[in-house]
Amino acid sequence: MAVPTLDTAVVDELVAICGEENVLTGRSALFNRARVPAPFPLHRWEQFTPQAVVLPTSTEQVSAVVKLANRARVPVVPRAGATGLSDGAVPIRHGILVDVKRMDKILEIDVDDRTVTVQPGINMMKLSQRLQPLGFIYPDDPASYPCSLVGGRIGTSGFSLISGRFGHTRDLVISFEIVLPTGDVIRVGDGGGRKIRKSSSGYQLKHLFMGHQGTLGIVTEATLELVTRPEAEFSAFFSYPSYLDAWRATGEFARSGLATLAGVVLFDEQKVAYLRRDDEAWIPAPDWVKSITAVAMYGQKDEVRAGAKQIMRIAKANGSTYAGDEVSQGDWWSRHDRYATPLHGRTRSGQAVLMSWHCEDAAINHSQLPAVREKWHWIVDDLRRRFDTFDDWGMFSYTNGAFRPGGDYLTEIDVGIWEQRYDEEMWAAWVDAKREIARVAIEHGGSMSSCHGSCREGEVDLLPLELGGGFDVMKKVKRVLDPNNVMNPGKYLLDQAYEEEA
Amino acid sequence: MLGFRLSAQRPPAEHRRISDVVISRYEHVYEVDPRLMQEHVRQQSLPEWDFHRIIENRVEHLVWMQQHFADSVISGDDLIRELEQEGD
Repeated sequence: MAVPTLDTAVVDELVAICGEENVLTGRSALFNRARVPAPFPLHRWEQFTPQAVVLPTSTEQVSAVVKLANRARVPVVPRAGATGLSDGAVPIRHGILVDVKRMDKILEIDVDDRTVTVQPGINMMKLSQRLQPLGFIYPDDPASYPCSLVGGRIGTSGFSLISGRFGHTRDLVISFEIVLPTGDVIRVGDGGGRKIRKSSSGYQLKHLFMGHQGTLGIVTEATLELVTRPEAEFSAFFSYPSYLDAWRATGEFARSGLATLAGVVLFDEQKVAYLRRDDEAWIPAPDWVKSITAVAMYGQKDEVRAGAKQIMRIAKANGSTYAGDEVSQGDWWSRHDRYATPLHGRTRSGQAVLMSWHCEDAAINHSQLPAVREKWHWIVDDLRRRFDTFDDWGMFSYTNGAFRPGGDYLTEIDVGIWEQRYDEEMWAAWVDAKREIARVAIEHGGSMSSCHGSCREGEVDLLPLELGGGFDVMKKVKRVLDPNNVMNPGKYLLDQAYEEEA
Repeated sequence: MLGFRLSAQRPPAEHRRISDVVISRYEHVYEVDPRLMQEHVRQQSLPEWDFHRIIENRVEHLVWMQQHFADSVISGDDLIRELEQEGD
């Protein structure tokens, strides 16, 4: 299927707005911006390519591009780091792709009011490197920390691994500027002040535009928390003879009430079995080790030390076995590696095969984790029985609550996928499995995504089920803010908003 | 042209079996059993110096990542010893 060509007059106008060097129409530029790391139907790549890519450098340019898209009725799709595991940045209706990577400047560092204001194309690791000499850090810490960008984090309302101490993206972003689908520019926060953390003035619009997956506009500037860099880190990994032992211990660590507690992670039995074939930390673990928990703490040295000592007391009381400093420290430091390393899948006969990593995530309460785990593994096992192109890589559960962790968990099942083998039958089976994984999460009182977003083929069908009447409000908001349905159309079932109007 | 020749290097160390699916030739360094890399993913011949360079770079990266987030690391082993001395 050939990609439809964009009207030459539209391309000329894009060049006039952004400059010739910032408008790309070559095949590689378009094809490289079609997909994200989420499972992608490689056999239908051309269905998802944009018709033109623009790399703006200012809010004014973004606004002008969006106004042009409205006038020409051409879809416009924002894209930041393109590391998302939902399809927010995938241009499923072609159109103009706005890549914000050249908007990567730090605009202001305000030590007195403890804020840093940036453009959306800056990466968190690079930002923290700039802040380090001043004694600060920006601790929004997803697995994609070295490669995802601030704009994308707002677009997905991202999850941070150390949110128990520092909060998630929604907590670390104080306010931001956004170009609406009509091209108008507004600033949203908690009330009106750019650097105000709490206000009771008007609707809380920051949260409306947090996690919109590019359907409500393009973020062009953000004011972020400037967080004092921790003096000390403590990470401890503990071993257990069964999942249920580790699950109970996870709850006890999370209930400790320690202010320095940044997160607790639970590895299930299939995850440990997977790590035993490829991960240097767990290959030599004794056979009795079936499940693992990890605890991470950050803060000033004195408070982390006192808190860590308390964690060790809890661990002793609940029968946890400490894995030692080498494993504990090294494994925590490698928490971002899944985005950077090729991973070995296995066929049913045990042969190594390069598979893409994917994780389906949901937010699940602690009490429901064992039941959800059983159902999710059944779904993925069934997929593997039918297709020798999927591999069950086990489950992680991470404390999900900001500042008060432990009541619910970002729970993910990691699936290896041999993507080169995709055909329509395999793709359809995968989409069905994703939908069933999401359905289990909802049936157990959870949300079908804590981290990635839920706008992908499969689980998106269940969005009205999860949100109820809230989904009708979503459609009304979309129609009011985007009257021509040009802003990332086709996502989140929001086309329904316009069908009902017609 | 001067350059490293794979055939000129010393033979790699003998491996020992760690599990049904893993072997090891150097302390704390594990490799997928070559028998599992026959059909879809073939093992490459890698000079030993390059093999060690990759491992050392990874360790350097992990230490850098820790120092990026905090100045120091609290040792769990030390805390356990401390608690035992305190009779806790």
